Amino acid sequence: MIKLFHLYKNFGSSVALSDINLKIREGEFVFVTGPSGAGKTTLLRLIFGTERPTSGHILIDSINLNRIRRPKLDLLRRRIGFIFQDFKLLPTKTVFENVSLALEVTGVRSTFVRKKTHQTLRLVGLAEKEKVYPLSLSGGEQQRVAIARAIVKDPLILLADEPTGNLDPELTEDIMILFRSIHVKGTTVIVATHSQNLLEDTAQRTILLKRGRIAGEK
Amino acid sequence: MKLRLWPYFFRQALMNINKNRVVHFIGLGTMVVSLLIFGTFLLVFVNINTWIEGWGHSLTMSVYLQDGIKEKNREKIASHIRSLPGAEIKRFISKEQALKDLKNVLGSEAGLLKSLSENPLPASFEVIFKYVTDLRSDPQIIKKGFESIDGVEEVQYSEEWLKRFEGLMNMIKLVGFIIGGLLFIGILFIVINTIKLTIYSRKEEVEILKLVGATDWFVKTPFLLEGVIQGVLSGILTILTLFSIYLFLCTKKMHFLGLGVLEFIFIPYDYTLSILLISIALGLGGSFIAVRRFFEV
Repeated sequence: MIKLFHLYKNFGSSVALSDINLKIREGEFVFVTGPSGAGKTTLLRLIFGTERPTSGHILIDSINLNRIRRPKLDLLRRRIGFIFQDFKLLPTKTVFENVSLALEVTGVRSTFVRKKTHQTLRLVGLAEKEKVYPLSLSGGEQQRVAIARAIVKDPLILLADEPTGNLDPELTEDIMILFRSIHVKGTTVIVATHSQNLLEDTAQRTILLKRGRIAGEK
Repeated sequence: MKLRLWPYFFRQALMNINKNRVVHFIGLGTMVVSLLIFGTFLLVFVNINTWIEGWGHSLTMSVYLQDGIKEKNREKIASHIRSLPGAEIKRFISKEQALKDLKNVLGSEAGLLKSLSENPLPASFEVIFKYVTDLRSDPQIIKKGFESIDGVEEVQYSEEWLKRFEGLMNMIKLVGFIIGGLLFIGILFIVINTIKLTIYSRKEEVEILKLVGATDWFVKTPFLLEGVIQGVLSGILTILTLFSIYLFLCTKKMHFLGLGVLEFIFIPYDYTLSILLISIALGLGGSFIAVRRFFEV
């Protein structure tokens, strides 16, 4: 369960988020939408703990992120998968190494790391590209590597920041199918997007942000 | 920290070194040169100390006899000398021989001695001690032992000379400490900057590691190992280079203060080990300071 209470975030004099109150249940699939600069990315980064709120509270499974100490935050991040808008892949590491990194940091056995990484890359359709370096992949493939890295550790929460930003409709559909399959397994999925196509005909909960405030919910 | 993570840490550290090999090579070279200056100082110190101790151990003592000493007393003194551990009578100098020696020393000025009505020089035993366990106390005790025997006029030995060298050694020690201290601070800065550069070269990776839930220690340990590896390599290279210098010196027949051919010794085992340990400690300390202000993501 994710709970946000009177959450404010300012960057200097500019207000990124203002009085956000939100509850996201365990296993829920939520879209966060709004125009560019509405505060979608900031919201995800606050939930992930890479930004600290100016005021207000964020609770994840009753853990208050304002009071969490650094080692506990590291452990919490192992339970949260984050798909970055710019993928954040390491160009000097292969696809396999980029994905396995998320498991290696947890200290699990290397045999498990190898098995799980192979399995996840098969799931995202990149089994044939394990030894390839990210820069020789297409945008869609890089996106799937980023997704594989986020889901390889079976996270309880998956945060995706504009995951279909630069993809064609066919690839977008593939990735949304992947998210739904992850969600079906019980993962809480929060997708930030400004793509109206993605939101058309969706039955999922959609939160609309405008100028840092919640402007509506569907 | 889990034991199975260590192969990963070592792999990462070696990869970092390989990736930043130019920086590491320069850092390593500078560390070796600095440690070598310190090591050479140590080598010189240890050798001078040994030579001085060696001279001290082969202490020379002159036992002057009273004029008109009875044969019985002279024999008593000679047997006392023989009973002393490590002592050997180098030669007995009679009154006549002493005068002859003096004449030889004076050369053309020897005529001055003709005006003497009698020979004022005493007979003496020249004694060499092959080994003396304590430089300061033993000559005194030995001297007192001689003075208690009938017929001994005076005993002289090179005490002042030894004390002067002791002062010199203390000075060398002090200079060594100061130079060593300054060099160690320099080495620390070299390691800090080398590790900082490798951290910056992996900044992106570190950021991602933190984002996927790596603990601080998981990220820091390979960098600390990098410092330790640099310390180990510098220490070993320094010791090997010092040993080469020592081997080179051994082939040279060197004289010092006209006191015969010098024999060189290598730095004792515990000093050698301390060079290695200091090097490792500086590597670890430097990398520790470098990663301490690790950026938080």
